[in-house]
Amino acid sequence: MTSIAPARARTDGATREQVIERPLHAAEVPWTIVVWNDPVNLMSYVSWVFRRHFGVDAQTADELMIQVHTAGRATLAHGNREHMERHAEAMHEYGLWATVERAPR
Amino acid sequence: MRITVPTDDPALVGLVHVEPEEARILVSLADQLQALLADALESPVDDDSAVRRVLPDAYRHEPELADEWRRLSRRGLVDRKIGFARTLSTALAPVADEGIARTVPLTMDAALDWVRGIGDLRLVIADRMGIIVDGDEGAFAEPGLRDVYDWLAWMQDGIVQVLEVREPDAHPAAGGPS
Repeated sequence: MTSIAPARARTDGATREQVIERPLHAAEVPWTIVVWNDPVNLMSYVSWVFRRHFGVDAQTADELMIQVHTAGRATLAHGNREHMERHAEAMHEYGLWATVERAPR
Repeated sequence: MRITVPTDDPALVGLVHVEPEEARILVSLADQLQALLADALESPVDDDSAVRRVLPDAYRHEPELADEWRRLSRRGLVDRKIGFARTLSTALAPVADEGIARTVPLTMDAALDWVRGIGDLRLVIADRMGIIVDGDEGAFAEPGLRDVYDWLAWMQDGIVQVLEVREPDAHPAAGGPS
């Protein structure tokens, strides 16, 4: 998965390691997959989909499901666009309302 | 209808005990869903709000990317959704036709089709009932539709429960939570 952590100079004890910054290629611009609240899908079903597809544990899945329900949306993953589009297709296959969004900068 | 966990056959995840009248309702709904999805493939624009809910855009703010994604993904997605509904029809048509209550066995693949096909049926019925936001009661729905909608919810929840018995740990997919 593409990291969205900023490139920066780091000091690790005695050794000083310079992280070289390079411009991101367009294909690396981080994207996210967002699942939106809907009034139809059951909470038990949404939580099960999150466990099955994203491989999260039951507690994390429940927390993400509650976040979808109360905040209206939750971000389930981030990475390159092609990867996020595959997640979107899978979510739509499960009947969940999901969109690919640019990661906030 | 009753949904139970089979104890003696490791190839099955669930048993659905179904009455003929229940089978007739489900076959009718699943057939209508297949027709709706097949029509959606032929139609250049989604003028049916239920179709837009079952096959939403993958991008909100980038129409070009939304169009591209639709061109690449839509046919496969629709074919798979038609397949989910067809699994329901095929399994239940004999019960409906013979008029005798039966126990329908669910393999893992069948259960995954059922749980998603039933979910799509609920999305379409919710649209027809005018359920837009949490708490809507579908005030404009014909009375029986609400019962069917709730019944499908009970059924979907039951299948999720039997899937959880067989599959307590989810498949790790590429890409974890952020």
